[in-house]
Amino acid sequence: MDASRYAHVKLLAADFLSLAVSSSAPPTISRRGRPIYRAEFVGVVVSRDRRPKLLRFLIDDGSGCVPCVLWLNHDLLSKSSVFASGDDLAASAARDHAGKVNLGVLVRVRGRVTVFRGELQITVKDVLVERDPNAEILHWLQCIKLARDCYDLPLAAVTKV
Amino acid sequence: MASSIIKPGLLVALQELQPSSPFFKEGQSIRVTGKLQSYSVESAIAIIVDGGATLLIDTQHLRDINFRINSIYQFIGELLIPHDGQVVLKARIGRNVDGIDLNLYHQSIRLRRKFEADIVRSKTT
Repeated sequence: MDASRYAHVKLLAADFLSLAVSSSAPPTISRRGRPIYRAEFVGVVVSRDRRPKLLRFLIDDGSGCVPCVLWLNHDLLSKSSVFASGDDLAASAARDHAGKVNLGVLVRVRGRVTVFRGELQITVKDVLVERDPNAEILHWLQCIKLARDCYDLPLAAVTKV
Repeated sequence: MASSIIKPGLLVALQELQPSSPFFKEGQSIRVTGKLQSYSVESAIAIIVDGGATLLIDTQHLRDINFRINSIYQFIGELLIPHDGQVVLKARIGRNVDGIDLNLYHQSIRLRRKFEADIVRSKTT
């Protein structure tokens, strides 16, 4: 099992938007040969589009705008699901997250890296409002340090025990 | 929502907004930070200052933001550079960033630019 599948890679938007997407189905998404499944961003919400089943928004960290989608259709899924109570919790959490996403707010977003109509996006799992403006600066520095010390290393060097 | 239409606000220090700067372009989307020096309710123009440099901010499209003199604000918007007149940032996003460490902020911007330049270089090689 690839442990990195469940880690949220901290990326700047420019780094995320330059990820390589394979032409296979489903596509694999990679950064310098390393598969990326989940990512974490910090940025300012610069657009917001609420639909009945989903919320689309963009977060801007100064290097790019990351498209994010937060699904709100858990209520529809739970009607036919044997895991109804789990879906209720998921629906409630998604609605809470959607309420935090407002224009001009600094947010930390975590989710799966997905592709929609050829464009990279984040299918959001968690949204956290960052009230301390220095949190964004810290995230930038973490992105740079992690890229240098971990993400840019050849995969073989990291998997060797 | 057309993600390709909304450009990111490039992080720029007020001192960098000189005619010789690559960021000094009509319509350039930038993000600036500075202390609120003055605000006119009639014109909705704010003046922010940082490191001795000032910038006019057109805030007429902003909502849900309270302006307090001497607080630090961050704005994302597009530069308007008239032929005769002062440069203005037409803000579409504004937020209070009181508590921000401006020294760290500016140092981090320099680090980020080097890192982002490396990303671009690695894409082309």
